[in-house]
Amino acid sequence: MQWLDTAPEGARLPVTTPLEEVEAAARDAGVLVLEFDAFRDGRGFSLAAVLRERGYRGRLIAEGRLIPDQARHLRRSGFDGVVLGPGADIEAWRRMDAAFSATYQPVEEDAAPIWRRRTLARATPEAVVKRLNRETRGGNAEDILCAALDPSLGLRPAILSSFGAEAGVLLSLAARVDPSIPVIFLDTGMHFLQTLAYRKALSERLGLTDVRLVTPDPSERADLDPDEDLWRADPDACCDLRKVRPLERALAGIDAVITGRKRHQTLDRHDLRPFELFQGRIRVNPLHDWSEEQVEAWFDAEDLPRHPLIDQGYRSIGCWPCTTVVKAGEDGRLGRWSGAAKTECGIHLGRRTMSVG
Amino acid sequence: MYRYDEFDTAVVRERIEEFRDQVSRRVSGGLTEDEFKPLRLMNGVYLQLHAYMLRVAVPYGTMNSGQMRRLARIARVYDKGYGHFTTRTNIQYNWPALSDVPAILSELAEVEMHAIQTSGNCIRNVTTDVFAGCADDEIEDPRPWCEILRQWSTIHPEFSFLPRKFKIAVIAAPKDRAAMRTHDVGLQLIRGEDGETAFRVFVGGGQGRIPHIAQEIAPAVPGRDLLAYLTAILRAWNLLGRRDNIHKARIKILVASLGIDAFREEVERHFATLRREDLRVPDEEVARIRAYFAPPPFADLPRTSGAFDRASLADPDFARFARNNVRRHRQPGYATLIISLKPQGGVPGDITADQMDLVADLAERFSFDEVRAAYEQNLVLPHVRLDDTPEIWRRLAEAGLATPNADLVTDIIACPGLDYCSLANARSIPVAQALSEQLADLDYQERLGPIRVNMSGCINACGHHHVGHIGVLGVDRKGEEYYQITVGGSADEQAALGEIVGRSLAADEVAPAVGRALDRYLEVRREGETFLQTVRRLGADPFRDAIYGAFNAVA
Ligand code: SF4
Ligand code: SF4
Repeated sequence: MQWLDTAPEGARLPVTTPLEEVEAAARDAGVLVLEFDAFRDGRGFSLAAVLRERGYRGRLIAEGRLIPDQARHLRRSGFDGVVLGPGADIEAWRRMDAAFSATYQPVEEDAAPIWRRRTLARATPEAVVKRLNRETRGGNAEDILCAALDPSLGLRPAILSSFGAEAGVLLSLAARVDPSIPVIFLDTGMHFLQTLAYRKALSERLGLTDVRLVTPDPSERADLDPDEDLWRADPDACCDLRKVRPLERALAGIDAVITGRKRHQTLDRHDLRPFELFQGRIRVNPLHDWSEEQVEAWFDAEDLPRHPLIDQGYRSIGCWPCTTVVKAGEDGRLGRWSGAAKTECGIHLGRRTMSVG
Repeated sequence: MYRYDEFDTAVVRERIEEFRDQVSRRVSGGLTEDEFKPLRLMNGVYLQLHAYMLRVAVPYGTMNSGQMRRLARIARVYDKGYGHFTTRTNIQYNWPALSDVPAILSELAEVEMHAIQTSGNCIRNVTTDVFAGCADDEIEDPRPWCEILRQWSTIHPEFSFLPRKFKIAVIAAPKDRAAMRTHDVGLQLIRGEDGETAFRVFVGGGQGRIPHIAQEIAPAVPGRDLLAYLTAILRAWNLLGRRDNIHKARIKILVASLGIDAFREEVERHFATLRREDLRVPDEEVARIRAYFAPPPFADLPRTSGAFDRASLADPDFARFARNNVRRHRQPGYATLIISLKPQGGVPGDITADQMDLVADLAERFSFDEVRAAYEQNLVLPHVRLDDTPEIWRRLAEAGLATPNADLVTDIIACPGLDYCSLANARSIPVAQALSEQLADLDYQERLGPIRVNMSGCINACGHHHVGHIGVLGVDRKGEEYYQITVGGSADEQAALGEIVGRSLAADEVAPAVGRALDRYLEVRREGETFLQTVRRLGADPFRDAIYGAFNAVA
């Protein structure tokens, strides 16, 4: 909540204005000031709540005869700030705004309501996974994403993306739901330059605002892979250093990881469910049942940019040392760690135990 | 019965701290009286004629013995040793010092009670059927839904500064024992087509100056959408309701002026854009709350009780009490027992601290630790063994609590009137007392059968006179207290407003006039017909003649 001395420039309307007119005014107003001429006139709270629910994203400011005891009513109905008259007791406003640590009602940009907090507090992650699988049965990728991002669930999710050949599907779906969702990219230092360029282009195109580049710890890297050839001798150790450990650090505070894993990719993934539990975190696989054809169709339909290496025959794209071209008709993931028994890089399997130094 | 968890406890505690802060800002001048007033009202604190009044919520009328004992203690320590139960299942204390209020609220919080939103322009305490969990016509116990509503409506950010107060009642049987259709919103729990819980929703009921019976706005709102639908209703009213005239601000006026169909369209429009998922209480949470209201561990008992039958035969007083105040329970061998707070010549709804303690003891020992407050301003022990009823009756009788008049003519609903209330035109208590004395003959009362007499001290109608089978309303005639009589009102599933029978009467004329109307009923009724059925058949005229004929004859 912002405590303002004066109202910012913008549209101004008294709370006595009919809803339709307020909505019309809000349509192209970056700032909307609602004027209360009596603190007992609670229309403004409903106006704000309706505007927010119907998608108004501009600043909403309250001005007029209000009392500190209404601070949280204002904030929780969707106001960003309130204009305090001269001599206002700003301390009282602050105190009243923070008077309650928990609330029963779900509202805009606020903590989960008590009901959800209770359910979460009581539900084990296993139960949450089970319930989400049940609730999204028959749903499509977007349903699964929405279930995971449902604010009332109180989860803090992030997408894990390689910005590889198929990454555009998950990222474009997520961008529709919430472009500010954190996207974690494991910058192993071994990526193709094309991947890095593609990451930039695709993020911009989709309007993703929180792409996080996660790099290996420099001192660990100096210790374990001074010559940058660990992948040759022990790819598992290399993945551990460049992917598994950095990811673990990046996921601090994240409790749901959204991936683009699909059933058809490897034998191990043939029974992949939309939600699974993995090392205490919820893992979300919105594309679990997608076929290669669906992915292709999606790229076409959405007119998404392609990874530049696809033209050169790459189908599943990771670090350059571990990615090869696959022949037409072959399984795309055959191009990863080709010739080795390795099929997963470790971030989806968990940290293997290894002695350091 | 519901128990608070850490979140509920936090909300109630933080509310007390918030109120302390408000009181201290009032004292230091940070808040004007005008600003402070709605804040204290939303914490149940009224300024009455002689003193402050504190109204404590008994959510959906359910209490345990510990809570009842605490109410007794508050009456003893902070008040004059008694309390007053209201038609909305709240309890009022008429003499607390303002400076004691935070301490009282803390005492309440210790037993998971509060006075939040018992007044003010907000969503009030939710009421329900006093026989919830006992009646055999019940589809499902409505109280888990009442608790969900209590939580949802508590300190609502959008709905704390409404045009006027907003009252919700929930019933879960075809029979309405909660005057549901006199509420701003009435909810009737039904089974939806999918077999899940749904609600038939009524809107726009209310009493006061311009009474209305609530009309159906939706035939079956699924339980999962209930909060969203109510939000839509409140939103439509909060935006469109009148704020220029306190008498035109209730939702009933908006519904009546738009018409139910246009109002429904407004609501549907809001409902369509509401984020319904956010308002959906998770299934786990519904299940958690329901679990608190699971039936108590009843014993397997025969349908009849030797002890009960023997006492009925041996003692005519017990037999009378059993006839009138002991009601069928759906569990064989059990009964629901009504404790009338309408002793002959007493103040309807009043109860002393010692009586409260006794009721608490009886609830603990005989009724699975549960006691209820009823719409009729009585108390109820919901689940007692038939076998135990003679002993319960004896102990009630010793404490003056065994008046065997539940639902009879002296089971009068009355507001506090001019003896306490600053808005009153006339006293209601002495008139109720006079009527109670005049009709004291219990044989006569039983002959009359069920009749509800309701009295209000002014047009605000807190005593529900519009829906009394016989209604008495205090009016001001050139500075004198006068009373207007209505007949034919009812608050049940066929809710109706009473018809005014004629000019208003002086205080001492009321009881004799009502007596004449009752005598006329005994003359004209058909076999087995109740007073209300007779009025419905014959209209108000015979009663008008009975009441005024005497005057006309004299004149
Ligand atoms: S994919 Fe290859 S290069 Fe990349 S981290 Fe793993 S082993 Fe190392
Ligand atoms: S009906 Fe009138 S007199 Fe009676 S309590 Fe209500 S406001 Fe007071």
